[in-house]
Amino acid sequence: MMADKIKTGSAGLDEILFGGIPANTITVIMGSPGTGKTILAEQLAFSQATAESPALYLTTMSEPLEKFIMHGQSYSFFDSSKVGVSVFYEDLGLILRERGLANLPEIITELLVARRPRFVFIDSFKALNELIVSSEDRRSIIFDLASVLSAYQCTSFLIGEYAEAMMTELPEFAIADVVLQMIKLATNVREERFIRIEKLRASNSISGLHAFSITENGLEIYPRLLTPKVAPNYTARAERVNTGIKSLDEMIEEGFWRGSTTLVAGPPGAGKTILALQFIGAGALKGEPGIYLGFQENPTQLARVMKNLGLPVEKLLASGFELMYQSPVEVQLDRVATELFRRVREGKVKRVVIDALGDVQRASIDRQRFANLIYALMQWFAVEDVTCLMTFEMSNLFEVHGISEEQISNMSDNVLLLRFQPGVEMRRSLRVLKARGSAHDNREREIRITGEGLTVEEIK
Amino acid sequence: MASDKRALILVVERNPIVQRLEKYFLEQAGYTVEFAADGEAALAQARELRPGILVTEILVPKLDGLSLCHALKSDEKTRDIRVLVFSHLHAEDRAREAGADAFLVKPLDEERLIDTVAALVSAAANGEGEKHDGR
Repeated sequence: MMADKIKTGSAGLDEILFGGIPANTITVIMGSPGTGKTILAEQLAFSQATAESPALYLTTMSEPLEKFIMHGQSYSFFDSSKVGVSVFYEDLGLILRERGLANLPEIITELLVARRPRFVFIDSFKALNELIVSSEDRRSIIFDLASVLSAYQCTSFLIGEYAEAMMTELPEFAIADVVLQMIKLATNVREERFIRIEKLRASNSISGLHAFSITENGLEIYPRLLTPKVAPNYTARAERVNTGIKSLDEMIEEGFWRGSTTLVAGPPGAGKTILALQFIGAGALKGEPGIYLGFQENPTQLARVMKNLGLPVEKLLASGFELMYQSPVEVQLDRVATELFRRVREGKVKRVVIDALGDVQRASIDRQRFANLIYALMQWFAVEDVTCLMTFEMSNLFEVHGISEEQISNMSDNVLLLRFQPGVEMRRSLRVLKARGSAHDNREREIRITGEGLTVEEIK
Repeated sequence: MASDKRALILVVERNPIVQRLEKYFLEQAGYTVEFAADGEAALAQARELRPGILVTEILVPKLDGLSLCHALKSDEKTRDIRVLVFSHLHAEDRAREAGADAFLVKPLDEERLIDTVAALVSAAANGEGEKHDGR
């Protein structure tokens, strides 16, 4: 029989845990200082506790109780009217100072009997552990505590600044049914936070690192994007999607396959963004709503570019064309991917542009994570019949023969390579390197950009 | 303004460091201070000592500060005791509902605490029933 699950107060974490934390278990929430352990614990307490199923939040020696209250009140989930009604705070540290640590199981029993909580939090548990000098005492006190918490019908959380190496040494990890690890990782310019399910007895979860951010509403957790379990629908894909450029459509039979992904690679100024805008604009005018995810031009700048190309911006916006601008400095890869994924799953989006992949890659902590995420997105696009165009900026203006991001170009159904032709007059050109499932014209063509948009023509 | 500088103040506070600070400031202001570390002890002491003012944190063991306030205000023998709820928890509305005469949010600010206590002592001396907003 499936164990009852306790919701965590975070929809993302519930999804990762396939519904929540199994009821009547002991969970260790571990992580270095500032990773958000207490926020997660309080978010859970305030979202789940009721007067009939109260939460008992025991603070120990890491921070005074007053600090928990002061910090907690800065988050929207902290409803002060619940304190003393459904969420009870107690300073366990003060009680232990008076009665001694050896009495911990007895003190917890007394508190359980007095408050009859359904949720118990001990924060920080590691601070208590550190006060027990002998490892024999530690083992027996923690074993007795686990017995108390298991004997009484409650779901317990032991919170602490545990390092990974402590998992094999400390007895609380042996008694824990669930271990949630919160991690801060530094990229070259910023820090990112992740949560991982380190241990989960009698239940399944989504493995790996899941990004999260701390907002005024508490933790917002973005489950790692997985590839779809259903295969793309090939009958629906037997349909062509025009690129917005007639002469380009003709180079790849009649356009891209619906649900395919196209990589447009080239140096700055070669026409990638213009090509992408024409692709998504043509879709919107045909009643295929699209999302343009951009990192460089803000909506005002982009609207200007579109007007210069003769694209009717207002009409496009009214037809379901949406600019999803993200500052490249602030972008958080998983948050953007989650939002894009959510919109695609709603079923209204038919075309997506990601301009440019390099900005997404720079927001990722490592290349493999980035590649996995793009791959998962591409698979979802295929399943949902969303045709996608991604741009990729290359640094070399003239001698462009291949694409260094091999993984991405291998994953893409179509690859268009843009470059500059050396000469007195700077001329742009395009070549279809790859068009999976299409007979394509692989000769280099000249790109012309006028007030009426981008066209490709034979090189004279 | 007539204020009884020797008024007895019963402070209900669990944290010994906060107790020490409150004792220092209140005694310096001329009041006599007694302490209780939990709500139940405070209720018993209030019945016995009949302090002019009771200052209570909400987050105290056994009987929380709001329940203590409600109990004092529901009992004819203790309802005249002026109650100041002094807490880290932003719970002014709940304090009023429990019958508190004033509410202050922590951390401790000497001037605000002493001014509020003085206003409560003065109101008690004048027999005023009006509630004082300590903020």
